[in-house]
Amino acid sequence: MNTITDAVVIGGGIAGLQVALDLADQGFDVVIVEKEPSIGGKMISLSKVFPTLDCSSCICTPRMAAAAHHERITIMTCSEVQAVQRVGEHFSVTIRTRPRYVIESACIGCRKCEYACPVLVPHEFEGNLGARRAIYVPFTNAMPQVALLDVENCTFCGACARACPTDAIDYLQEPAITEMEAGAVVVASGYALTETQTADRYGGGKLANVLTGLQMERLLAPHGPYGRVLRPSDGRIPDTVAFVQCAGSRDHSLPEGQGVPWCSRVCCMYAIKQAMLLSGSLPLVDITIYYMDIRAFGKGFEQFYQNARAMGINFVKARVARITEGENANPVLRIERIEEDGRVEDQPHDMVVLTPGIVAGWDPSSVIPVQIGSDGFVLSEHASLAPCRTRVPGVFVAGTASGPKDIPDSIVEAGAAAMEAANHLRRTAYASRRRTEAEAGGR
Amino acid sequence: MGRVDRITDEHPMNEQKPKILVLATESCAYPGADYVGQIHASYPSNTYILRVPAPVIFPEAFYLRCFEKGIAGIIVMACGHECPYEGAYDRLARRVAVVRTRMRELGMDPQRLRLCSICTVCARPFLKEIHEMDAFLSQATTGSVTT
Amino acid sequence: MTETKRRVGVYVCHCGGNISDVIDVQKVVDGVANIEDVVVARREMFMCSDPGQNLIAEDIAAHNLDRVVVAACSPSLHEATFRGTLKRSGLNPYLYEHVNIREQASWCHKDDPEGGTRKATRLVAAGIAKARNLVPLDPVRVPVTRAVAVVGGGIAGLRSAIDLAKSSFEVHVIERAADLGGHLARPGRVYPTDEPAQDLLTGLLAQARSLPGLTLHTETELVASTGYLGNFRLTLQGPSGEPRELTVGSIVLATGFEHYQPSLGELGFGMSDRVVTLPDFIERLDPRGPTGGQIVKDGKPVQRVVFIHCVGSRQLEGVHVPPEGGRLYEHCSRVCCTTALFASIELARKFPQVDIFDVYQDIRTYGRGQEDIYEAAARAGVTFFRVAGDAPPTVEIDASGAITVRLVDLLTFNEPIEMPVDLVVLVTGMIPRDITPLIEMFKLPRSPDGFLQEVHPKLRPVEVCVDGLFIAGACQAPMDVAEAAASASAASAKAACLLGGDVISLDPFVASIQAELCDGCGLCLAECVYVKALTRAEGETVPVVNTALCKGCGMCAAVCPHEAITVRGWEIKQYDAMVDAIVATGGHP
Ligand SMILES: Cc1cc2nc3c(=O)[nH]c(=O)nc-3n(C[C@H](O)[C@H](O)[C@H](O)COP(=O)(O)OP(=O)(O)OC[C@H]3O[C@@H](n4cnc5c(N)ncnc54)[C@H](O)[C@@H]3O)c2cc1C
Repeated sequence: MNTITDAVVIGGGIAGLQVALDLADQGFDVVIVEKEPSIGGKMISLSKVFPTLDCSSCICTPRMAAAAHHERITIMTCSEVQAVQRVGEHFSVTIRTRPRYVIESACIGCRKCEYACPVLVPHEFEGNLGARRAIYVPFTNAMPQVALLDVENCTFCGACARACPTDAIDYLQEPAITEMEAGAVVVASGYALTETQTADRYGGGKLANVLTGLQMERLLAPHGPYGRVLRPSDGRIPDTVAFVQCAGSRDHSLPEGQGVPWCSRVCCMYAIKQAMLLSGSLPLVDITIYYMDIRAFGKGFEQFYQNARAMGINFVKARVARITEGENANPVLRIERIEEDGRVEDQPHDMVVLTPGIVAGWDPSSVIPVQIGSDGFVLSEHASLAPCRTRVPGVFVAGTASGPKDIPDSIVEAGAAAMEAANHLRRTAYASRRRTEAEAGGR
Repeated sequence: MGRVDRITDEHPMNEQKPKILVLATESCAYPGADYVGQIHASYPSNTYILRVPAPVIFPEAFYLRCFEKGIAGIIVMACGHECPYEGAYDRLARRVAVVRTRMRELGMDPQRLRLCSICTVCARPFLKEIHEMDAFLSQATTGSVTT
Repeated sequence: MTETKRRVGVYVCHCGGNISDVIDVQKVVDGVANIEDVVVARREMFMCSDPGQNLIAEDIAAHNLDRVVVAACSPSLHEATFRGTLKRSGLNPYLYEHVNIREQASWCHKDDPEGGTRKATRLVAAGIAKARNLVPLDPVRVPVTRAVAVVGGGIAGLRSAIDLAKSSFEVHVIERAADLGGHLARPGRVYPTDEPAQDLLTGLLAQARSLPGLTLHTETELVASTGYLGNFRLTLQGPSGEPRELTVGSIVLATGFEHYQPSLGELGFGMSDRVVTLPDFIERLDPRGPTGGQIVKDGKPVQRVVFIHCVGSRQLEGVHVPPEGGRLYEHCSRVCCTTALFASIELARKFPQVDIFDVYQDIRTYGRGQEDIYEAAARAGVTFFRVAGDAPPTVEIDASGAITVRLVDLLTFNEPIEMPVDLVVLVTGMIPRDITPLIEMFKLPRSPDGFLQEVHPKLRPVEVCVDGLFIAGACQAPMDVAEAAASASAASAKAACLLGGDVISLDPFVASIQAELCDGCGLCLAECVYVKALTRAEGETVPVVNTALCKGCGMCAAVCPHEAITVRGWEIKQYDAMVDAIVATGGHP
């Protein structure tokens, strides 16, 4: 593989993909380093997206395909950046690729191995609501369409190797280290969610019908684990669904890992979106959103919110103090109203959706000396004028790696990061110099 | 059109089932049909899916020609309001309505032509459309509907 | 139907059993081998592998093939691969046709191998029929001028201009006012960095002035534009009076927003000099501002200040009344919650004795660090009242000039509140600026909120429906300084992608007109109203296609009574040929 490139983009979510495309279209070579087996990030698992309610896959897959097919973009999946060393004005990036135990260039994504595998384990992509095999293509529209073997759960029965038409299974594959020289690095490592559902007050993770926002996304997706919205405990269609806003955000009392003090920025809107999608697919369902403030601040968001109100979705300004389990595995919410008469009451619902807090997906300061805020997200050089430039020259940041953000804002920032990185490469003349050198060396 | 008739099916006459032509948009419905294949969902094999950037390109006469040539049913699978070409979807919808009126005038059952929106992961709606058209056409060939 | 002889090569892939386990690939090969023009028909285990591709290359050389059909997986996976094979073998890549017999045949007809085989055969026959009708295509190439005009010299315009000048484009900033900087030029501090806005501006301006190739035109307006992406010919009207011509490859619109101006009497506005808008208040807080940083009433520092949110934002029909000829502003202005809280903290810091009240519907401190600002305001002693959107507060000013605010507070369970205050700060929203001449010049669509409408909020957030035109900053929607800067750089990136080379290379799938078939009826012209790629010069019969603008949607082709228009690569006659193949009755040759 070519081990010299112009820019290394860390993270192949929607932000990383857009950075890569906007750099490649300006003529720079880009390597995307993605730790998961597929690019696409969180967005590829979402159902439909606010505020336009268009299908997330339909917006995300063309971007994934454009990056995968771009002649200037190389994608490394199952890969992580281990070290970044500054060498003069450029960087030496050490990338470690985990074994898939499937030869990437040989696999044709036919899934014969998957059909042959006897092992069933919960599927992370489906929020553990569905099952997958021990060898599997990460999800249906994954890119690349290449299987991987989960050694933790594999019984080494050999069924997959026998089924594979291209002899792509390699049980002995070793991790690979790539040393990549690059002129710029863009951190687009995205976000992760707090384990808010495990908080004692929300049932300690033991209540079957208490879901997270991402699990609800999967239930609502046309290609989700059940194909429709059903209660995990008994497969029944829910009659009443509640959303608990700020369950893991704007909260100083939850321990680290379960909640965060800041606003996670997208939860109001995705709850409203999910509520609208729910009432579209289950017209009789009764939906309540418990909230503190509805933060419908983006373009078209307020109208989206008003439409939801007009559709009959109940908005109740209240804090949810705790969730317990009642009859029929119904979660019971202890509600403290912040309006009307301020009464405290117990409300049973068939299903409850919690909105966890959004935290940084990765701490890049372990490998690059970028500054990290007290919130764990990357700090920029100047929060107003250069939001995508970190304090390390040549290192840029895009998307939710610098704080919670919705897709439109992540994509716009990605464009900005690409512009900054391109100008850095031009200023240091890194790209042109290395092309001249490559040409001279090629002779 | 004498030249294409030299396709050699082993039993050329054995496809008794009426043929369904699916005009699927490149950005939504065609990948949607791929998705159905990827999840190995099955549907009748008398369906012929053609990729098209925007089905608004087809004039009314094209649909009528297809029926004349022997296509039993046509499903136009579009992107709906996610259509990448401004104004195209509304025009398409209008045109399909016009063709259906024309079909009625010609004594054809307008249900042989359908327009729907299929997204890239819309397996269920895709299968529903195909199965409904297939069921309708089978019923039609047994004589209860005019085709 | 084509009369010319073609030499078609057909390849059917087993895909290692993925196709051949269901479909009898040999039967497919046999079934199409005798179709006219088919020179070779083969099957292979993996067409996409090197041996598979080499097979095609060898056949092209050995058999002089001029059209190639591969039946394999979905075109989304390998259409580009095989176009590349043709290119490497010296054939135009568009003489290739891909047939999908995996995702759309073998995988969905597992229980019907015979039907699947029959279908695959006919699909391949249809592919051959299309291939015989393919013609070589070349990408559309549009020459470009490596220059950009940025309309508007506020933060977004300057940011965008600096980015592009650094990328060594010639950049012209066109600013209507005498001074650059837009709203940033006013006194006052800005969050989150808590620094004077004017300092931010000074830095930016110094940078802009230092960059070669960046020209700042103040007191100048864009008055006319002709041409299209790659080469817009602009007319500028400057202070000297002489119009000036300028050719640019792309345009960035960064015309910003306006502050909502309350109407006379709206919440006491205009009835007392102690009812002020938030931007005016922020200016007064600044020592460089008009009051030297003093907030006074009758010469004495004020004691009680109330901020009222959502003035000119989140307006509701039936509750708010638009001014004569005006409109309701139903959108949220995004930045005013944080701006107001930030100002109240500064007020509390400078004048600790002041009682501060804040009347809101929802506090929308959504951004990074903004929740801290909200919490700091609460710690600074701000008292919050929450009102319902359909029950806004009222402001009464009596004959003595005393101000009373009345509201129903939801936080204290609908308690009616009546409070005398010394100063009312109306937290006014951001509204679209009137840029009617530009909107008419470029025929730009607006969103329901009146701001400029992007093509798609996620796929193309900084593009508008006019190719080569980009939008930056608050002309698109309310946003804060950081967000405007990011959107400006994103717009710069798009312009840099577009104008990077000497030519722009576009997809070849565009409309083309066969002049001898055209009778000049003009129906096509009436279809092409969105991208306006079809035009007809005075006195001419046949329209011309501007291939730089044409998107290949085919709306024109559908209405042409003489089939004089086709879309290259997707011609109706190709579809007809495919349908013929699908319905062909068959028979042994
Ligand atoms: C339940 C839910 C619903 C939502 N709904 C919407 C919606 O409707 N509309 C909307 O606009 N937004 C929505 N969002 C927000 C949306 O998900 C984000 O805005 C968007 O996905 C951010 O993209 P990103 O690329 O910044 O981050 P991510 O999607 O997190 O991508 C980051 C990528 O980086 C990879 N990565 C992380 N660390 C490393 C490393 N060390 N090395 C290599 N790779 C790494 C990750 O694997 C991942 O692929 C929703 C969020 C949630 C939680």
